[in-house]
Parts: sequence; C-alpha cells; structure tokens
Amino acid sequence: MAGRLLSGCGRAAAVPRALPAAPGLCPRRGCGEAAALRAMGFSEEQARRLLGLQPRLGPQRREAAAAQLLLLGLSAEAALGLLERSPRLLRMPTEQLQERAGELRRLGLDGGQLQRAVSRCPQLFTLPRRRMAAAVRLLRERCLFTAEQLREVLGTCPAVLLEEPRLLHHHFQYAYFRMGVQQKEMVKARLFRMPFAELRNRHIFLERRGLYQTPHKGQTQTSNPKLKDILQLPEKDFLASLAHSTPEEYEVFKKLLAREEKEEEGEEEDRDVL
Amino acid sequence: MGVGGMAATAPRIPATRLALHHFDMSYSLQLKDLWPSVRLGLLCEQKYGALLNNFSPVDHVTQELELLNATDFVSEAPRKAQRWQRGATAEEAGRGESRAQEGSGEGRTVMRAETMTQAEMSPPLRASISSNIKCYTFPRGDITRFRPARPDSLGLLDYYLMDAASLLPVLALDVQPDDFVLDLCAAPGGKTLALLQTGVCGHLAANDVSLSRTKRLYHILHSYVPKEIRETVSVTSYDGRDWGQLGGGTFHKVLVDVPCTTDRHSVMEEDNNIFHKRRTKERQMLPMLQLQLLMAGILATKPGGEVVYSTCSLSPLQNEHVIERAVEIAETEFNISIHVEDLSHFRTLFQDTFSFFSDCRLGELVLPHLTANFGPMYFCKLRRMRGTVKAMPLSSHG
Ligand SMILES: C[S@@+](CC[C@H](N)C(=O)[O-])C[C@H]1O[C@@H](n2cnc3c(N)ncnc32)[C@H](O)[C@@H]1O
Repeated sequence: MAGRLLSGCGRAAAVPRALPAAPGLCPRRGCGEAAALRAMGFSEEQARRLLGLQPRLGPQRREAAAAQLLLLGLSAEAALGLLERSPRLLRMPTEQLQERAGELRRLGLDGGQLQRAVSRCPQLFTLPRRRMAAAVRLLRERCLFTAEQLREVLGTCPAVLLEEPRLLHHHFQYAYFRMGVQQKEMVKARLFRMPFAELRNRHIFLERRGLYQTPHKGQTQTSNPKLKDILQLPEKDFLASLAHSTPEEYEVFKKLLAREEKEEEGEEEDRDVL
Repeated sequence: MGVGGMAATAPRIPATRLALHHFDMSYSLQLKDLWPSVRLGLLCEQKYGALLNNFSPVDHVTQELELLNATDFVSEAPRKAQRWQRGATAEEAGRGESRAQEGSGEGRTVMRAETMTQAEMSPPLRASISSNIKCYTFPRGDITRFRPARPDSLGLLDYYLMDAASLLPVLALDVQPDDFVLDLCAAPGGKTLALLQTGVCGHLAANDVSLSRTKRLYHILHSYVPKEIRETVSVTSYDGRDWGQLGGGTFHKVLVDVPCTTDRHSVMEEDNNIFHKRRTKERQMLPMLQLQLLMAGILATKPGGEVVYSTCSLSPLQNEHVIERAVEIAETEFNISIHVEDLSHFRTLFQDTFSFFSDCRLGELVLPHLTANFGPMYFCKLRRMRGTVKAMPLSSHG
C-alpha cells in the first residue's frame, strides 16, 4: 500500500520536469497537459474529456497515444472516441502503439478508412500481433485477396482480424465454393460483416426454395441473387423481396437448420471415434 | 477422348438431384408461387404425428403429450371448426341485430353460440367426429420431436409415429360399425393400424404384393395389437391388380394407398430411390399401375360402398388423372357408375393442422410447408353407385 502511494507520488513528481509549464499560473493539475493537447488540435472540451480518461496517467502517455492516432490520419474526435472506448490504448507502451500504427499503415489503412475501421473494431490496436499477422496471411495467401482487396476488407470488416483463422477460412471457402462467388464480389458485398451462421441460413434458405444454385465450374452467368443483396438487406426485406417468404417460415427454418447442423456434427464425431 | 469416354467418366448424378430437377420442372408449373415453400418443406425435416394405440392404456400418454403442448388434431378439429362456425354465425347474428336494435344484441349472440350443438353443425363437419382415432401433433411452427414409442406392461407399444397427413385417407374412409374393409396396398401398415384403431371394422383384409414389406406389416400388428384382434385381420400377399378375380364387390370400404414417386423420400434419400436411372421404366409405369390398382379397388367394393385412393405425391398425373381415368373406365368397361365425393370439409376441419392445396380439381392435397411440414398426401373418395350406367353413346362422355 505504502509502496503504491510512493510510486504514485514519484510519477506525479516527474510531471513538471517532462513538460514545460504553460505560460501563466495554473494551479490545477493537468493544465499544462491541456495546453499541449490543444496544441495538437483538440478543442478545449475534447482536451477536458481526454484528461478525464485515467486521470492518474502520466501526460506523456496520453499525449503520445493521441499523437499516434492523429498521425494515422484520425480526426481529433475519432481519436478521442477511440481512446474513450478502449482506455487500454492509453496504458499500452508507446513503442507498441507506434509499431501497430506502422503495421496498419503498411496494410494500407489510414485516414478515413482507418477511422471507419477503428470505430467498427477498436481492438485493432490492442489485438495481439500474432493474431493479426495470421489473419492477414490467411486472407492474402489462402484466400488470394489482392493487396488492394485486403485493404478494402480490413477497412470495411476490420473484425476479420479478430476471427480465428480456421473459421475465417471456412467462411471464405463457403462463399467461394458453395456459393460460387469471386473475391471481387465478396469484397464489394462486405462478406465478412455478416456472421457466418447467418450467411448460411440465408443461403441455404434460398437454395432449398430453388432460388440459388451453386454455379458449375467455369460458369459465370447465373440467375442467382447478388451476394450483396443477400448480405445487406435487412431480414424483413430479404424475406419479402429475395426469398418471397414470411418471418414465420424463416423462423422455423432457422431452428431446423441449427438442429440439422448440430446432429451432423454429432455424426462426424461418432465417425471420428470409430 | 471420344464421346463414349466422356460419358463413362461423367460423374454420376445422385437420384435425389434428378428427382428434385424433375419436380422443379413440373411442380413449379402446377403450384406456381407455392412451389418454393413446398420445395423447402420437402427438403427439411418432416413433422410427425403420434397415433395413439387404443389397445394400450392411453391416459398417461395423453397426459404426457399434453404437457408437451401436443394436441389430438382429430378431436380438436371439429371443436375448432365449431368455434369458427360459431364465430361466423355470431358475426352474422351480431350484424343483423345491431341493425335492428343498436348495441344490446351481444348477450343474446353469445347465448346462441353457447347453445349451438353438434346437430346445428353442417353434416359433413359432424361426420368425422365419431372416429376413435387419436393422433397427437405439435402446434404449427413447433419443431419438437416425439420420443420413440415405449411398450406398456403387456409389451404393446404406446403410439405409432407417422406423417399425420397419412391419417386423412383413413378418416376419409369413415369406417362404420361392422364394415368389411380392404386395405389393398397395406405394407408397412401404418394405415392398417389406424383402421384397427377405429375399433369397429367388421372384417379387415390387409394385402401387399411385397413379401418383405408384408413382414413389416406383421411386425407392426405384433407390436401394437393384441392377439385376439390381430388374428381377425387377414393378411395376404397378392398382386392387388388381380384382386377382382378373387370375387369382387364384397367390401363396404376399400383403401387403395398406391405405390408412387414418394416425393419426400425421392428428394432426400439415395437408397431405394425411384428416380435412379435404372428405374426409369418402373417410374414411367407408375400411373398405369396406380390406375389398375384403383380399378381393382373399385371392383372389390360393394355397390353403395366407398373407395379412398391416396398417394404421397404431388403429381397430378398420379392423382387426379388416375381418378378421372378410373371413373371413365368403370363406366365404359364395367358399367359401374362412380361418384367422386366432395371432401372440401376436410379442408375446413383440418386447416389448423395441415396446409391444403386449394386448386385440386378432384380430391384433396396436403402440401408440405415448414410451419406444418406434413405430406405431401393426396386423397380422393369415390362412391360406387348402386345400379348400372345406362347404355349411352360414347360421345356423351367426351
Ligand atoms: C404407399 S405404400 C403403402 C403404405 C401403407 N398403406 C401404409 O400406410 O403403411 C404402397 C405399397 O404398395 C405395394 N404394392 C406395389 N405394387 C403392388 C401391387 N401390384 N399389389 C399390391 N400392392 C402393391 C408396395 O409393396 C407398397 O408397400
């Protein structure tokens, strides 16, 4: 207890040395920090909010973190929003944050795209490096997305990076082989935004109703509905305009399909045991 | 590589795929907008009904099933129909009275509705109330499954799981006390068992050409029916088409539940699939076989007696067309006049449990639909009229 108090004092004591005092008398702690944040482009109100996050944190950390985010092209408001939603970022060592920012930049994510990505998936900065590398490798090397497509995927569905590569691969293969969709269309349709189970529900529902067919090898023209429509229509509209069905029917279908799947898994396990 | 080589290496198309393709071609024309939902129903798990075994104590089973929210659709039907009818009558009466005397009609309307008895129901709606058959189903949209049947203390199983729509042909046959009943294509025996559940058959003859399937019929009788009753059923293995030669016109009621394309089975199971390439001929001969079996059924019926024809296919060629041809042949070749009975009250009675096709020219057809995934089941009832057709020029038939 005493130790913690002491070290707290120590850190607090270091503040004035690290930062030149703001001009004029400023008895309230953090006043100098506020000035520095304002100098980076935060408004007074934003600076106050930023200072309110983890008030005991050293000002360097706060500033360094904010700077890294601004350097990636995030707006002050977006950077603040991100820090508010994942305060862990503030506690991350500066080098690590810097490194991750560099990686995201290398992947082509910056500016507006990064802003959108980060607001969808604040974990982009905190996710372990190995996970991220594995997901990226999978998308590039196994799913054969081009660098440009990868950037688009990460920008629009950044949560792919949180996916277990095995499941991600399955998701991709399902769209590619079972639904016969090419990478380009997947990217355009934001394939990875819809949870896999829901994609499967919608696809098999259409298929059993005779409204979707897996294209033959080499077949490019089909009368299948567009992946974009399957994925992006709200359920109500999906049922009314694509599937020509009712919520009652779809609800029963989802229950039945879930049971089918569970029982297939059971059978596979039984086979594995034999 | 020559064309022959190509053919030899071409991947074998599963029979289920062939069946589905075939159905896509024909049923989409017949059922139009309804086909996608029927197709989905065929390709998803079907629903069952639990036919209670009246030869085993039913009370605890009934209780168990009702706790699970299942209901006996047979006894529920007239009750519901009465309520609908009552609703309609009350509405009419209400409308009439409010015109005459603003506002105060309500109490009397309710009284009227409460006192409406079976006698007031239209006769066809009353008709199938008397059946002893009890079959439990889960409500619309409920996908709960029944546990497997269990033996009672005497070793008889408590219920028989079957497509609940299979009971409709049996209910349509409307067995009366002491009727002589023939089940011409009986195996494996689900409908035979249902016929026995009425408890009133004077005599029951169950026939099926297939020996192996007749064994299954015996097995069902053994599992569900006490010895003394079992022994009154005469099980035979004739070709049903020859039944006429065994002395016709002896049965009050005849069930002709013919072999068909078994649509649900054909899109789901590779085994024993009638759409296998090598069974093409057999499949093409089905309507002919069905017609011959129905003719044999008609000839086995007493004048005044009734025949119910049924299939588990959606195909008009195996359903209405067979009926039409049979009626025509009965008249022209056998001088027998046939009346096709109206079964539309079944649609009213059982609308809550089954999804019926409203555009059948003759008979009734249950369409699979996920919210009530029974069927397909086609059934049509024919009455063999007393007396003969007067000789008339052929031209008047066409
Ligand atoms: C739809 S199944 C009958 C199902 C049975 N009524 C039930 O409810 O369990 C048709 C039956 O017709 C039989 N069958 C086929 N050809 C026949 C024939 N020529 N004479 C008699 N039965 C025949 C088949 O062996 C098959 O068991």
